[in-house]
Amino acid sequence: MAEERSKVVEKPDILERPDILRPTTPAPLVTFPIDLIVPEGRQQTPAVGQRASRADARLHGLGQTKYIDDMYLPNMLFAKIKRAGVASARIKNIDTKEAEAMPGVIAVITGRDIPCNSFGPSLKDQPVLADERVFHAGDGVAAVAAETEQIAAEALEKIKVEYEMLPPVLDPLESLKLETPGVHAPSANIYGHKIIKKGDVEKAFKESDHVFEGTFRTQMVEHVPLEPYACIAHWDANGRVIIYSTLGRITLGRADVARTVGVPMSRIRIVATVVGGNFGGKNEIRAEPIMALLSKKTGRPVKCVYTRPEEFYASTTRHPLVMDYKTGVTKQGKILGRKIRLVLDGGAYCSWSETTLGKACILSAGPYNIDNLEAEAFVVYTNKTMTGAMRGFGAPQVCFAYESHMDDIARALGIDPIDIRLMNAFEEGSISPTGQKLHSVVVKESILRAAKRFGWNGLESGNGKGVKA
Amino acid sequence: MKRRGRGMATMWYPIGFTVAANPSAAVVKVNEDGTATLLTGTVETGQGSLTILAQIVAQELGIATDDVHVVSADTDATPMDTGAIASRTTYVTGNAARLAAEKAKLTLFDVAAPLLGVKPTQLEAKDHKIVVKGFPQRNMHIGDAANHARMVSGQPPIGSASFNPETVALDPETGQGKPFGTYVYATQMAEVDVDDETGETEVLRIVASHDCGTAINPMLVEGQVEGGVSMGVGFALEEEILFDANGRQINPNLTNYIMPTSLDMPEVEVDIVDNYDETGPFGAKGVGEPTLVPTAAAIANAIFDAVGVRITSLPATSEKVFKALQAKREQQPKQLGTGPASLPSAPGNGASAQ
Repeated sequence: MAEERSKVVEKPDILERPDILRPTTPAPLVTFPIDLIVPEGRQQTPAVGQRASRADARLHGLGQTKYIDDMYLPNMLFAKIKRAGVASARIKNIDTKEAEAMPGVIAVITGRDIPCNSFGPSLKDQPVLADERVFHAGDGVAAVAAETEQIAAEALEKIKVEYEMLPPVLDPLESLKLETPGVHAPSANIYGHKIIKKGDVEKAFKESDHVFEGTFRTQMVEHVPLEPYACIAHWDANGRVIIYSTLGRITLGRADVARTVGVPMSRIRIVATVVGGNFGGKNEIRAEPIMALLSKKTGRPVKCVYTRPEEFYASTTRHPLVMDYKTGVTKQGKILGRKIRLVLDGGAYCSWSETTLGKACILSAGPYNIDNLEAEAFVVYTNKTMTGAMRGFGAPQVCFAYESHMDDIARALGIDPIDIRLMNAFEEGSISPTGQKLHSVVVKESILRAAKRFGWNGLESGNGKGVKA
Repeated sequence: MKRRGRGMATMWYPIGFTVAANPSAAVVKVNEDGTATLLTGTVETGQGSLTILAQIVAQELGIATDDVHVVSADTDATPMDTGAIASRTTYVTGNAARLAAEKAKLTLFDVAAPLLGVKPTQLEAKDHKIVVKGFPQRNMHIGDAANHARMVSGQPPIGSASFNPETVALDPETGQGKPFGTYVYATQMAEVDVDDETGETEVLRIVASHDCGTAINPMLVEGQVEGGVSMGVGFALEEEILFDANGRQINPNLTNYIMPTSLDMPEVEVDIVDNYDETGPFGAKGVGEPTLVPTAAAIANAIFDAVGVRITSLPATSEKVFKALQAKREQQPKQLGTGPASLPSAPGNGASAQ
């Protein structure tokens, strides 16, 4: 290690060219007014119900908020992660020699350098860096710490990875079939299953005046926080690692770092900085163990900030769903029975799929009293970007399905979309699909209040009218 | 021609984790001048959660939001928290913060009671004072009580507490159980213009009526709803990660991954439904995630209302709506003349009324 550190003494040519480098020192200080004016809402009692501005509003307003990208520790290195770029493959060899020999490159690590190379909030199926197998194109296969971000990026090009390509599984419905090769063989592609049963659905369909069916699909989307994922790791002389991170969940993050890096929790300090948007995408560790190990190897602080493309393909995304709905109703519009099948595209790793599966399944019937219900949900692996926690955990997807379906039923029966919902909506004390007695229920109030505010005037409000272009 | 349509969607959404324990712990310290510090392991990720927690602690101690400083997000300094996820901060962390503040407050009451000549149970904290219930003129400043607690009584007012929502595991065969402590409810209504020649949809207005229990801070609720609606508009009309045949993303950048900008945003009218949940801190539940849940469904229903095509897969891009309109025209027999037969007989058939 001493050798590696001493390697930096000679500055490579690239360091003499500031035009192609990101600044390695913090931005110059901007002066700001010191006198505080505390907005009235923050001074009033009682405090609850006040339109109190945020405690950090002044910092944001004056442009003084410091994100990780603004943070600089003395002697800090920059890290970049090489992405596989192939969706499914066996790694035959990784040659890092040429990259390591580059001036300004201080350390390179691969999956083999990770003490415990797996993590995940429920299934521990995600490697920190792919070692033997690549499961999706955004998988990291090696990481470089260098004097500048530019050198680190150039070093990635010098890392040679030999792959044995394997056919990727991309369609969730294909993945569901038993004969489809396992993404994580020998594990099955279906890695989560949930069922909710209430009453007798088939009998309800027989007793219904009309039975409606529909299939709905949703797409994969990104959280797109303004601030992409970022972290800095730094070991102090007491053998403790301090990690500054954009994590939204530091308690879980510390447990994951302890496990993957092999350090007791008492020797880890995680500080979440001001986070520039989360929406679920910053709920588990990403490169924290990599930065901790690069920092340990080099004895210097190491920073990593994801690029926007990395934020897309190397962080989690929203689960695409395929949703089959079948609903039996009376001619007045009362729902007698509903049967639902959900297939969640779980991407390459489990991540927060268990939670998404559960919430999607429980919420899939909508906020309606349905005595006869059968909802079944599956989540399957594919060789696509991993899906995980995202604002709504499956709820926006199933809401799109059950509410589109509801409108189709209302229209076929000639009922106002408001009336069919009011007829079926939960009220105080209603029993949920899982048999839970609900309290503080205001479904009908929300419908009626929205209708009043919107100016929804029954069926005949001149829909579809041409308007001036 | 652009055609106007309206659509609605209603939803329910739970607060906290599905069955799994998701506790929060908190520590509240009252300073000698009556201001306070809250220690919490949660992370401010832009939603204003630390302000909400400060308001909850301030309410319990009878002081103002600005009197509470929040220390957060440091595993060395702050107690454990399950974190900024599952719309749980106001409800779960908020309950823990309130309970911690209550404990610190009870220490202050113990100190103040003999000074005011009453029992601790006869006291309440409000307007920066510790007041004898029913006798507002008999009071002392909270700072005097806090200072006395430290300098004379030797009882520094510090409280710590934790909270975890009550749940019951789901039966694996039937899914029966109590997965969540509480739920919130909401309805959104969308007004759109759809161009029946290009398939382009413009969202003009979203009315969003949301339940969050007590709105601890109505301004932050509005902020969450407006942000959620923008995500919902993107989910409904534009955003989609595309893959090539080899499983590589085609559009991992903000040039080709289209999301709404401020120019694409509709008018958002936020309506907070009055509600109180006795299990939440001061009746509060949460609002983070639910804000985007009904948006796409309301917009899809409005598109149907405008031009009579049902979009069954998101996003409802112009191309998709255009193709659906084309398919619909091909299916319909050609209408000759403009007699009564061609006038709209039901909403959503897309015929022009002009």
